[in-house]
Amino acid sequence: MTPVYLQRSALDCALGASLEEAASNLLAGQQPQGDVFKLHEVQEPRRYLNATGPAGSLDERLDRCLAAVLGPQPQALDDCLLIVASTSLDISELEALTRTQQGFAPGDSTSLDLLASQLCQRWGFAAAFTLNTACTSAANGLLYGARLINSDQYARALVLSFETPSAIAMQGFGALMLTSPSGQYRPFHPERDGLLLGEAYAAVLLGREAGDAPLARLLGGFSACDTSSLTTTREDGSHIHWVMRQALKSAGCSAEQIDLVKLHGTATSANDEAESNGMRLLYGEQMPALSLLKPWLGHTLGACGLSESLLLLKALQLGPLPGVSYASEALLPFSAELQRLAADSLLLANFFGFGGNNASLILQGCAQGDSA
Amino acid sequence: MTVIAASEVHGLASISDKDLKTALSQWLDNPPRRIDRLILQCLLAAAPLKAKVRSHCGLYLASAHPARATMGALLEAVCVQHKQPKPFEFVNSVSNAAGFYIAQQLGIDGPNLFIGAGQQVWPQLQALANLDLRDGLIEQALLLVCDERGDFSVQAVLLEGAITGAYANSFSELSAGTEVQRIKL
Repeated sequence: MTPVYLQRSALDCALGASLEEAASNLLAGQQPQGDVFKLHEVQEPRRYLNATGPAGSLDERLDRCLAAVLGPQPQALDDCLLIVASTSLDISELEALTRTQQGFAPGDSTSLDLLASQLCQRWGFAAAFTLNTACTSAANGLLYGARLINSDQYARALVLSFETPSAIAMQGFGALMLTSPSGQYRPFHPERDGLLLGEAYAAVLLGREAGDAPLARLLGGFSACDTSSLTTTREDGSHIHWVMRQALKSAGCSAEQIDLVKLHGTATSANDEAESNGMRLLYGEQMPALSLLKPWLGHTLGACGLSESLLLLKALQLGPLPGVSYASEALLPFSAELQRLAADSLLLANFFGFGGNNASLILQGCAQGDSA
Repeated sequence: MTVIAASEVHGLASISDKDLKTALSQWLDNPPRRIDRLILQCLLAAAPLKAKVRSHCGLYLASAHPARATMGALLEAVCVQHKQPKPFEFVNSVSNAAGFYIAQQLGIDGPNLFIGAGQQVWPQLQALANLDLRDGLIEQALLLVCDERGDFSVQAVLLEGAITGAYANSFSELSAGTEVQRIKL
């Protein structure tokens, strides 16, 4: 695949209201505490990691995210595709409506295209669509957005990805017994007990040129459906392994050239086991540096492809990545020490989701100050 | 690009999920259980194409709305009754469940994307599929669009080979010259 630049980006998440603040807090080891909610019926407490940016309606938050990427005086967007990648879309607003009315009528349902078409009109994008492939939504948004640029269909693409604090998501993951009762988010720990959900609003502008402050280049990626189960991927890691290999092939690089693997690492029993096995199939016991982002952001579901990629790439520009406190006990060989990696490191980033959706991206960071 | 096959399902709003399951059982030996109306509708449009689908196929699915009954049940349970949602309803709502079940039932192992169906849905699906067809990641692409505003319709087209030239703007334009298998309920 011809590389495409991540030209400008923005993030509002549990670690900070801006990408720079979030990356600085990651490097400083300032883990967010979040808020506590209770699971219905069983009344058990769970933690949720809210975004720290100013409150507002969904439209206001999305407009703020777009403005952060496009700047105060954006040029015309008639050459730019908008991809809205999210699983929650406007569900929090529908939840509020249902509480107010004490019920939900079929006519209250909004179209899946509503937010994308409204944003397209309001901002003047050339075209827009909503992409929902569960937790790979943003990863697929990046991959297909970049490839649409390479196909000359658009000069630029903006991927906007977000997950709101939806009560259905909080209660639903609780009902599946996938949320952490201990409140400790420990992917690949032998006693891991599930995930913490997180809120995030993220956006990135993709283009062929570097622009004035590029974060990275997307070199390739691959996405496919594992049809063995709706909620888990093959535990032997074979599908994940195949997806990672296909992603490497698309970028024209080998597993040995990768400096850092950003793991999906949900801290659920089956997912971490499958990803561990996939990594061993690809690397054996000699693995590159490994990174976990969900303990810092929560699982931001459809937005994780963007929230985690942007956070990691910005952190690489700023300093050494934090170690994993339980490295000696973990299923994979994490470092307990600070990891010093070059800003232009080659990354393999994994994102897996319900519906059999598995995706891997290959990215190369840009040093701060790199430009066209 | 060649259109291998096409199908179209039209159903009245009054058609029950049970009627959809009965219709689907005529096409599939082991239809999945605990699936919602959107999944049933999409499977019913995809199933007639099963014999012509090869494994190296991508799936590009669009719907105007989520499964309204599933969304309603989830919202009522969580926001009014303060109960936990039923796990299968929750999973069907947050994942591309319709795409998953189509891929599983038809033996498709390629990319599997789900988009919201807007005015440009057919050109958008063709553009996404064409990226994978042109790069040789898949040999075929299955495109589906589901629309339920009162009565419902699902249209499906199976393509082979990269698309050259302009994208078709509608199902009828894309399937012109192909015998469309039609199901009316």
